[in-house]
Amino acid sequence: MTEERPCDDVLNIAFPAIRQNTPVCAKSSHFVVPKDLLPAITHYLHTQPNFRGRLTLLWACDHRPVRTTYGLYYLFTLEGSHHWVVLSTEMTGTDRLFPSITPHIHAAQWYEREIRDMFGLIPQGHPDLRRLVRHEHWPKGTHPLRKDFSWDCRLGRQQGEHHFRHIEGEGVFEVPVGPIHAGIIEPGHFRFSVAGEPIMQLELRHFWKHRGIEKLFEQQTLIDAVPLAERVSGDTTVGHGLAYCQAVETLLHLEVPRRARYLRTLFLELERLHNHLGDIGAICNDTAYSLAHAHCGRMKERIMQLNDRLTGSRFLRGMIRVGGVTRDIENRRLVDIVDELSQLQPDFSEVGAIIFANASLTDRLETTGILHEHTAWDHAVMGVVGRASGRDCDLRRDRPFAAYDELPMNVALYRYGDVRARLRVRGDEIHESIRLIRELRDKIPDGPIAHEPGDLPSPGDWTLSAVEGWRGEILYMVMAGEGGRIHRCKVRDPSFVNWPAIQWAVPGNIIPDFPLINKSFNLSYAGNDL
Amino acid sequence: MFRIIKKSLKIGVVTGQYSRANTPTIPIVPEVKEKVALFKRSLAIREVDTGSCNACEMEMNALMNPIYDAERFGIHIAASPRHADALVVTGPVTVNMERALKDAHKQTPDPKLVIALGDCAINCGMFKGSYAVTGPVERHIPVDIRIPGCPPCPADILEALSELRTGRP
Repeated sequence: MTEERPCDDVLNIAFPAIRQNTPVCAKSSHFVVPKDLLPAITHYLHTQPNFRGRLTLLWACDHRPVRTTYGLYYLFTLEGSHHWVVLSTEMTGTDRLFPSITPHIHAAQWYEREIRDMFGLIPQGHPDLRRLVRHEHWPKGTHPLRKDFSWDCRLGRQQGEHHFRHIEGEGVFEVPVGPIHAGIIEPGHFRFSVAGEPIMQLELRHFWKHRGIEKLFEQQTLIDAVPLAERVSGDTTVGHGLAYCQAVETLLHLEVPRRARYLRTLFLELERLHNHLGDIGAICNDTAYSLAHAHCGRMKERIMQLNDRLTGSRFLRGMIRVGGVTRDIENRRLVDIVDELSQLQPDFSEVGAIIFANASLTDRLETTGILHEHTAWDHAVMGVVGRASGRDCDLRRDRPFAAYDELPMNVALYRYGDVRARLRVRGDEIHESIRLIRELRDKIPDGPIAHEPGDLPSPGDWTLSAVEGWRGEILYMVMAGEGGRIHRCKVRDPSFVNWPAIQWAVPGNIIPDFPLINKSFNLSYAGNDL
Repeated sequence: MFRIIKKSLKIGVVTGQYSRANTPTIPIVPEVKEKVALFKRSLAIREVDTGSCNACEMEMNALMNPIYDAERFGIHIAASPRHADALVVTGPVTVNMERALKDAHKQTPDPKLVIALGDCAINCGMFKGSYAVTGPVERHIPVDIRIPGCPPCPADILEALSELRTGRP
């Protein structure tokens, strides 16, 4: 706490116009800020050497029917103490304009465009106001997250064209790719401007898979929405389910039993294992090294079959519930898991040795797709990608959840920021996960696996929760509505933050290397598009 | 090199090491069987994702790993719809993907099969009714075979595809 109080005092002294509110969750502060001061305060938080606030989340909320206002919320994570600072402001009446913070903070770019699309609030001074979520064929004035927009309405179509940024000059041409790609992957559009071989610019156009998840959440109750959270991004089932449940538990003041917290950790680590194994294989496959791909595919399948035997779902679906977990794993089964993983570990080490002994593979991986540390910081990149670029952040250590406060862990960190570094981070995390599961087996206590939820929260209560999924930081903001329903649920997959950063890792590389870079980021389209 | 040989000898053959599908086989109507017979027991598939949560894609990818190894049954993944005999569509069709799906369908040469993979593709699953979803796959293009599940496990998919492969009118 000693570190945290000064931050509040410093802000209060520097900006006397702001008002401090009660914090929404542990290790956080909340300030109500006048709208005009937003750029100044956010800039101050972002650049002050003893704060170095990273813009973690930015969301809007339509408060109707309780109040006829829109709320804007800015969440910053302070670099040193990992303390959360929430700045909020309200827009009343017919006011639809708010000052953009993008000119100072790159990371706000997509958030502000998203708010404009979903709420019709306009960030003044934003350098790029093209549509993001609503593609150009959506009719004018459709802002899905406004309360007067019905969740099941049928959208019409209008004529419209997306304007890409062009580079003009002799020998410069554009290569459009997507939305449907050549492999078994999700839809997204990439547009490369190339001069000869090297890429000069890459522009993304996403949100093809927008399914209206945030609006669907508003149709559900707090307790029942877990399956929907699990389907935000299928490969991060546990991560999203857990982040959602934690938010609801904070709202309900519900304590999770210790055994359940350990089991949640186990599921999260199993999910990390099978995804990382698959990724390592896929990166090798993109350099046409199918031997490693086959071995990693085999090991990944082994973990997924283990999941299936353990829980009846290859993706660990339906295991997390509000208040705990749905199914107990007997201690005898835990021993089996550890046995299986102990066999897998030398197996994986052997494959790793074969991979890194391959000179032509290393030649493709090294210095390909470098994301520099300062670029990563500017875009608030996190997760595997951030750790490969020297950003030392991991929520499991920094803001422990589930049982991570009792299971100390090491964070894999590399500084080169190239494809190889991202491969190495994944490899190290596999070993670390296996170690964690082993430690977990030794420490797991006996006891109940779930507590029943009690009282409903009062409407308007809201909270935040964060989980380190296998891709990175998953954030949920849940605001309660009438009768235990959800008023607003903001979902943030790490992909949403890391996608814009890929545009800075690509220039200078050649097009055949792009699939490799993309695979080493391996971001979710579904979690991004919502 | 010795490492690789040693590794390969140690691992041996892993193909087929999975528990068999437990869902009942999917009935295939005679018209579809007629179409399948034209493909002479091989099938080139183009996978189109129209808004799934990406679990179905992961299971389709798993089909190609050494455990399931769908290639041994003559099932290939084609890189372009123009090389495909069948389109495998996953996910509810979102507003933004509707046109792309129809385009991909148009570009697939006749005779073609359309396989709706997963609950979302069959009936929109959890996303039913959302403003951003225009309906299940069959609302936009004719569907021949439906493989249910959320997501269907690779053994189920393989079972259904093998059924097609052996299908005779």
